[in-house]
Amino acid sequence: MKQLKLAYSTLMAKHGMGATLFVAIAVTLWVVVFITLPQLSMLDYSFRFNLPADQIGTEADHYTLEQYRGFFFNADGSLNSLDLMILVRTLVAAVVVTLIDVIICYPIAYILAHGAKEVAARLMVIGLIIPYWINEILRAFAFRVLFGATGVINTVGMQIGLWDAPVDFIRADVALYFGLSYAYILLMIFPMYNAIEALDHTQVEAARDMGAPLWRVHWRVVLPVAKPGIVSGATMVFMLTAGALAAPQILGGPSSLWFTQLIYQWFNESSNWPRGSAYAVMLLLTCISFVLLTMRVFKVSVGEIGK
Amino acid sequence: MPDRSVLLDHVSIRFGNFTAVDNANLKINSGEFFSFLGPSGCGKTTMLRCISGFSEPTEGRVLIGGKDMAGVGPNKRPTALIFQHLALFPLMTVAENIAFPLEVRGASKKERRKKADELLDMIALPGIGDKKVSELSGGQKQRVAIARALAVEPDILLLDEPLSALDLKLRQHMRTELRAIQKQVGVTFIYITHDQGEALTMSDRVAVMSRGVIEQVGEPDLIYNRPRSAFVASFVGENNGLQGVIKGQSGEVAALETPMGTFEARVGGGRKYKPGEEAILFVRPEQLTPGASTNRFEATLTRQEFEGATNHVFARSADTELRISMVNAGLAGSPLGQGENLSLGFAPMNATILPVGHMASEA
Amino acid sequence: MTRNTLFGGAYAIAFFTFLFGPLVIMVITAFNSSRFPRVVPWECFTTGWFGELLGNARLMDGLLNSVIIGLGVVALAVPIGLAGALALSELPARLRAMLYTVLILPILIPGVVLGISTIVLWGQISRGLGVGALYNGFFLTIVGQITFVSAYAMLVFIARLQRFDATQTEAALDLGATPGQAFRKILLPFMAPAIGSAAFITLLASFENYNTTVFTVLSESTFTTALASKVRHGTDPSLSALAVIIITITLVGALTNEAYQRRKAAQAGGPSARSPLYANPITQALTHPGVVFAILVTVIAGLSYAGSRHDSSVCEAAVLQDKMARQEALRAAQQEKIEAQQAQENTLPKSNSAFGGAFGGLGGSTPAPEPVAPKPASPSAFGGAFGGIAPPQSDD
Repeated sequence: MKQLKLAYSTLMAKHGMGATLFVAIAVTLWVVVFITLPQLSMLDYSFRFNLPADQIGTEADHYTLEQYRGFFFNADGSLNSLDLMILVRTLVAAVVVTLIDVIICYPIAYILAHGAKEVAARLMVIGLIIPYWINEILRAFAFRVLFGATGVINTVGMQIGLWDAPVDFIRADVALYFGLSYAYILLMIFPMYNAIEALDHTQVEAARDMGAPLWRVHWRVVLPVAKPGIVSGATMVFMLTAGALAAPQILGGPSSLWFTQLIYQWFNESSNWPRGSAYAVMLLLTCISFVLLTMRVFKVSVGEIGK
Repeated sequence: MPDRSVLLDHVSIRFGNFTAVDNANLKINSGEFFSFLGPSGCGKTTMLRCISGFSEPTEGRVLIGGKDMAGVGPNKRPTALIFQHLALFPLMTVAENIAFPLEVRGASKKERRKKADELLDMIALPGIGDKKVSELSGGQKQRVAIARALAVEPDILLLDEPLSALDLKLRQHMRTELRAIQKQVGVTFIYITHDQGEALTMSDRVAVMSRGVIEQVGEPDLIYNRPRSAFVASFVGENNGLQGVIKGQSGEVAALETPMGTFEARVGGGRKYKPGEEAILFVRPEQLTPGASTNRFEATLTRQEFEGATNHVFARSADTELRISMVNAGLAGSPLGQGENLSLGFAPMNATILPVGHMASEA
Repeated sequence: MTRNTLFGGAYAIAFFTFLFGPLVIMVITAFNSSRFPRVVPWECFTTGWFGELLGNARLMDGLLNSVIIGLGVVALAVPIGLAGALALSELPARLRAMLYTVLILPILIPGVVLGISTIVLWGQISRGLGVGALYNGFFLTIVGQITFVSAYAMLVFIARLQRFDATQTEAALDLGATPGQAFRKILLPFMAPAIGSAAFITLLASFENYNTTVFTVLSESTFTTALASKVRHGTDPSLSALAVIIITITLVGALTNEAYQRRKAAQAGGPSARSPLYANPITQALTHPGVVFAILVTVIAGLSYAGSRHDSSVCEAAVLQDKMARQEALRAAQQEKIEAQQAQENTLPKSNSAFGGAFGGLGGSTPAPEPVAPKPASPSAFGGAFGGIAPPQSDD
């Protein structure tokens, strides 16, 4: 509280009454009305029954663990392995996609920071950004075009005789993995690049000069510097992948649902908001605890994210 | 003539447990060019920010023109500050920069332009009003910053090491120019610097600061010739310090026993010493001469640094490294060789005995 | 070292092929008359998909809604982001780290969760207060998007604020400005470019958003949600045509910006100042960003006009004729075979899936329902028979 007061008085002295009031009101509004209250409200909803409108507020409307029980167990008391497996599979898939992105982005981030000349580097940056101007939905659509039964890959593959019948890449989730890995590349490269760029290039040269092989230079010199960037990028990619909805809807096979699609179904098809809220809470909790755990393991703070 | 004096009345400034300024008590006279000289971290910038109103003293009062400034913000004080990196506004033209003080008071466009042109004439840069700040040279920026500060029509102009970013030639030129501007406008200048050359050449009076304490206030020649503390003696100019024990004192002169011998010298600050007390004798390199008849000693030459007019000679005597400045005698003089024995001395009036205290660190 | 450079170059090329390959292929499919977006077999060069795109009422309505929502989001998220950045710059370290975590969290929280929590909260509020007007797709989408879009704006402002020299404000105060004046005349003008880019980024983020919007928009639809439901319910190359339009706009923007940056660098005396382009007055005029932009726009306008005059109906009719003939031949062959079989053993039942199997080799996948009226030139039977796989129909 005392620190808040101090910050308030510095703001007053520096920017005046108007600016201070603006900052105070806008930040309060953002933190309380836009960030905190909706989450609390969703949490509250997840502990209620799915009641018709006229029963809300009556004695039937009381707190319950029903929605969470529905997530963990079937009506007959057996484990709801279907939904649990979907959550686990979503998380595992998000981890896989994140790892793929780390691996394919690291060389590019390094080349961008230390390899490329000025003009080439600028062209690369433009080349990285342009695909992200294009709508997320269209990017997923492009992979559909690529991997469809009569898509380019199948046509070419069959023409050069790699396989005879069209391969169903969509059912096999190949298209989905490609699409998701593609979707958040930019969010992985830029934090990595920012971290690696801070490395003095002469350090790499010095290590090479001392006869270290390239992999060892990266392992011992570059990676430790890149670590905060990698973790920051990986966190964003993981959270966005686990929370993706469009790509799984467009590229996902009919038999393998993403957890967000489950939430979507509870809301938009079953109109069971409390159950959907409970599922959303589960997604949020597992994702955040997973990220916090990873950050603890790699000793990186949340403050690194977004830089 | 308005009262343009500044009175620091027992001012202390503390940040938590750290004391940045400790009980500063002095009066800066109306129309004076006054410098605070000290190494970085000595509290001089804190002092300046306190006078300009960016911070308030923890204890004591700041009076400007006889008025207590407590609770008066920087924008309400009759002071103007020239920042170390000038803080010219990069998005405004030169004229807009200079007329900014008028703009915030709601002066008309015409008035602003007139004032800007007047001040540009004064700093001898007429006709650059429409240029961007980024198009100016270092010296021009310097002068524009001064013009902008003067546009406030301040009673006190505060300068925070404004010359430190300039190269040597320009710095020396700007010293003369600053002094000339000060004479012309008659405003009190308070100048902050760690460069003793600047402080000594420009100022009417200098305050030497160390560790938040004002060690000595006085005219430049007094600061140099009559230091009152070991810090001032070691910080301002080059000096040789010989530590020893007082043998006796008679009036202005005392005798000090050092490993190199017993020497007589003037007592700094009119102190009275008891025999047996520890003290330091300071004698400047240019005062050590082969010709002096008093305070003689022998030393061995270890190395020399030739610098045109002067020859810096380093010699050892009784495990003490001494620095001697000799005037270049030209081809007529006889050259000195490595390991040569020197017989030197100095006049008692040209050396000072001071109490033991912290010295300026070598750097 | 050369071996490493070679490897690095090869890797970069492979990487950018992965990045641009799908887009290039999508662009090509926009000009193929085939109902399913594909490159081979190439049927006819057509510009008809652009017309079909512009005629899609749902997408065009969504576009208008997206613009309205986008403007609302920009108007609120930019000031909120600025306030967040300013607050962070003045807070003491510990509190700053705490607030930063809270404010950056909405970027990490799955968009689905943000959307749900928004409709749940405002649903309760509007029920509690009896204000139905609050429970409205536009309002909820703006509110839901602000939550995380403001954080994007904030990141832009933080980056800019870090380069602000705080003595500028002090100098203004010292020169007699009130704190408010210093804020308006010094800090805000310094932030102006960041305000521009923040507005741009927030508009784009709002426009692109799907995960949150699909919940908060309720029964309305934005451009992106309309697009998504179109993609989910069957694809056709009019989406590729849309990609062509967006990519073209992006490239024009990127090239103009590049011309601008190079000119700025040349004026500042960078390495490009030595380029002969800036010495010759003609090439110098040609590389002016305005001229570059005008040339690009003219070229595109010319191409669009030429494209709109292109008539592919003759070619398409020929292809159709050819397909019909082939189909007829196959049908006849099949008929013959069946008759021969029937003649052989009269009891054999007729196979239903023989038709699909003969054409697509896809088994029994049913064609997707087409929300868009099929082009008169190609009967929808072909869309199904040649159109490849069924899209995943996980919902609706």
